[in-house]
Amino acid sequence: MELKKLLSQKEFLFLDGGMGTMLQSAGLEAGEIPELLNLDRPELIEDIHLKYINAGSDIFYCNTFGANRYKLAKSGKTVAEIIGAAVEIGNRAKKKADREVFCALDIGPIGQMIEPNGTMLFDEAYDIFREMIVAGKDADIIVLETMTDLLEAKAALLAAKENSDLPVIVTMTFEENMRTFTGCCIESMAMTLGGLGADAIGINCSLGPRELFPSVEKLCGCTNLPVVIKPNAGLPDPVTNEYNVMPEEFAELLVKMIPLGIKIVGGCCGTNPDYIAATVKAFEGRKCEAVTKTLPSAVCSASNAVIIDCPRIIGERINPTGKKRFKQALQEHDLDYICNQAIEQIDAGAEILDVNVGLPGIDEREMMLSAIRAVQGICDTPLQIDSSIPEVLDSALRIYSGKPIVNSVNGEEKSLSAILPLVAKYGAAVVGLCLDEDGIPKTIEGRVAIAEKICKRADALGIPRSDICIDCLTLTCSAEQEAAMQTIEALRICKEKLGVRTVLGVSNISFGLPQREIVNRTFLTMALTKGLDLPIMNPNIASMTSAVRAYRLLANIDKNAKEFVENYGGDTAASSQPAVKQEDMTLGYAMSHGLKNDAAQITAKLLETTEAMEIVNNILIPELDKTGAEFEKGKIFLPQLIMTAGVAQSCFEVIKQSMLKSGGAGVSKGKIVLCTVKGDVHDIGKNIVKVMLENYGFTVIDLGKDVDPQLVVDAAIEHDVKLVGLSALMTTTLKGMEDTIKLLRQHHECKIMVGGAVLTPDYAAQIGADYYAKDAKQSCDIAKEVYGD
Amino acid sequence: MSVNRFMINIDEAVRYMGYREPPDEAQMKTITALAALLEHELKPAVVYRVFPIGFIEGAVELKGTKLRFIGNSIREHLACCDSVVVMCVTVSSRADELIRLKEREDIALGFMTDCLASAAVEAVCSEVETELANKFSTKFFTWRFSPGYGDFPLETQPHIIELLNAGKRAGVTCTPSSMLIPSKSVTAVIGLSDLPIDKGRRGCVVCNLSKTCDFRKRGVRCGT
Repeated sequence: MELKKLLSQKEFLFLDGGMGTMLQSAGLEAGEIPELLNLDRPELIEDIHLKYINAGSDIFYCNTFGANRYKLAKSGKTVAEIIGAAVEIGNRAKKKADREVFCALDIGPIGQMIEPNGTMLFDEAYDIFREMIVAGKDADIIVLETMTDLLEAKAALLAAKENSDLPVIVTMTFEENMRTFTGCCIESMAMTLGGLGADAIGINCSLGPRELFPSVEKLCGCTNLPVVIKPNAGLPDPVTNEYNVMPEEFAELLVKMIPLGIKIVGGCCGTNPDYIAATVKAFEGRKCEAVTKTLPSAVCSASNAVIIDCPRIIGERINPTGKKRFKQALQEHDLDYICNQAIEQIDAGAEILDVNVGLPGIDEREMMLSAIRAVQGICDTPLQIDSSIPEVLDSALRIYSGKPIVNSVNGEEKSLSAILPLVAKYGAAVVGLCLDEDGIPKTIEGRVAIAEKICKRADALGIPRSDICIDCLTLTCSAEQEAAMQTIEALRICKEKLGVRTVLGVSNISFGLPQREIVNRTFLTMALTKGLDLPIMNPNIASMTSAVRAYRLLANIDKNAKEFVENYGGDTAASSQPAVKQEDMTLGYAMSHGLKNDAAQITAKLLETTEAMEIVNNILIPELDKTGAEFEKGKIFLPQLIMTAGVAQSCFEVIKQSMLKSGGAGVSKGKIVLCTVKGDVHDIGKNIVKVMLENYGFTVIDLGKDVDPQLVVDAAIEHDVKLVGLSALMTTTLKGMEDTIKLLRQHHECKIMVGGAVLTPDYAAQIGADYYAKDAKQSCDIAKEVYGD
Repeated sequence: MSVNRFMINIDEAVRYMGYREPPDEAQMKTITALAALLEHELKPAVVYRVFPIGFIEGAVELKGTKLRFIGNSIREHLACCDSVVVMCVTVSSRADELIRLKEREDIALGFMTDCLASAAVEAVCSEVETELANKFSTKFFTWRFSPGYGDFPLETQPHIIELLNAGKRAGVTCTPSSMLIPSKSVTAVIGLSDLPIDKGRRGCVVCNLSKTCDFRKRGVRCGT
């Protein structure tokens, strides 16, 4: 089916209305699997299709919405059987139509959330969708609908694009706040799905046409793809389950959306053929009013779109180059450290984060995937994926929930032919470096020529200029003094001549010079005035971030100095004046009062005069012991115990850094494998135990939550641990704990401690655990006992 | 229905955190700031339906559906009722995101956020109950009974999610081990009757934590 041709021939395309609604009125009871009717009552399904065809639907959806492996698990039927039958019914109905109509393979959400919110892996989701798409190959078009998680929609769309040539419509479900339940915003949906090659995008379900008007308006403003709208018949009554908007009213409300630019219309829950007939009638003689717009340059995460219409700060700190502590974190797979780097930069003003985890000796692909999953799980700042290896970029681009920037392509043939197709396929933006086989051109013209070459190659692949960010490359001023102005001039010309965005790594300019901050800041300001859009810099240096903000103020971008005053106008000093000044404070005082920053600074000061291990053994550990004892006596409570642990953690971080600098390695008291067991997704308790164990000098191998027993065994053997800690919160997941213990007993000699709200000492003994830990404090006591402290 | 405004009961959240005395001023300031953040950021969603019920051996059937609520606890709970409200409430995946984020900032903040988000679900449930009381003003209500209480199996949860179409209508899904995602969500059943109901206390008997409960050990109650 050629959707494009069809769209050009018709003013509007009409979809069908609700399938579930029709099935319920035919007697389907709540709780039954509707897709089984494709086998049991094919004539009923065909009749529904024919009713919609007669009402005027051009495209009708086969009865396959929930026909996925997961939902059919207990039905005894396969995906191929159910979808095969559904599409056959669809094709039969088509033949009985009095005009050309099309049947769609309808695919809804799997019913499981992808991690980190849920437990399903991206690849698992992809595979479930792939199976459906292969089974529905005889349909005319693929529809992905009712999606709420952008990453799940992406998995489905990639599965469609990679396993079928059929056109694909994607619609997501938005609430009145113009976000999906998982927080995805309309701009992010439009740019991500558009970039991935959806043929039409839109909104279905959740609300009626009245409530959806603002969402449709917004969507029409941020895409040039045909816009689909398939609302519910208003809202359902909780007692009768009947919807409150009648067919004529429904049609009128849809007519009101014509000026917004909608092209494809239909109905969702609560609608029936009367709604479609009324809509077709109301649209008669109307013209589609969609117009082609110039879309802004932008990148996004699922819930945050960053429009590059003024300078935006790219944080450069997630990068091991020249950082011992970062390298150590990568070697130890310490994702917490990477997440902390992300949070610190965002707090300081970063609007996009560069992620580079390349280090000899580590599996960069695996590390990049872990880092992206971790960072996108805790923040909504769009990412710039930074690697020189195409396979790493490819894998990262698949699992990123949004539209990232790829860093980078350059003028070398090898790079152009490997990187640009990835950028085009995944709809990303890309950094283009002005260098090629011969290195960095000395002249301005030479650099512009490479930028042009990159642009032309990108044009050929359909990558819009607004997605290309040219880097004219900062050279070290102390080595090539004339180069600074050349870089800035090349940048200006590229922007004006090629219509691209510009990006520059700023810090390199001052290498080898004194007062680097002043040089960096001045160079940054100079480049901004000539059109630099994306400075890649360290946002934690206040003077750099403030330079960008001051530029936005002076260039009349930051209207009424709102952002500037918000960041610099407050009287922050007075608000949080501690009762005791830091110089009069002991480390113990800072710890027991939860003063994290003070404690870290005092530790740093102490390190000037005291051995690291002396601080650990004589101050930190005794203080932790004291807090633990007070907790046991009921003098302080859990939050205070955890707070002290958090402060101690920040002190240990300072000590770690200092030991690395002086070339020493930390001393571990022993390794412990820790996880929340299979089936359980509650991990806060486990995370508290982790922090406390680490404070006592144990190395914790944290396997996360919902962990398969085999993985626990593998990790226990690999690290040859003497102690494994298992956590479970619910009675139903205690089974997972028992299974894990059984498997461990068969394969590895070790002690096992268990904990979690529903556990009792008796039950712990019954399932074969060695220790029951009633709280985090006791976990530490057990660890000390096992490792003979 | 949508609940746009709700107020977290700070005392309740503080109890979940394990405080046995009021937190000091600095801690209270942190807790109230986190509560304000949650009240602002969380987008609760609620879906419920009302079904007539019938009683059969060892279970309660929901008329017009294939679903049965199994167990003596739920049967007793609904003993005088003619119909039930089956509901699902969530404070959205934003709660999980904020807990993860705060945990990274500071484990204690993460823990506090987790407890506050649990209290937020309770607050939204109370809002819903108030609305139900207004909507069905001639009826008498039982208290909320959730899968997992007494012998009412937790495995009922996925069936309730399906029944209410809660995936589509509230963004709530269920893992194969019957855990709700977003994690700060609940499913529950409230009985409706034309006659006054002796609500009794929710009490500890139906609570899964009754054996390990810190409150009980200290001879006090958690408040439910």
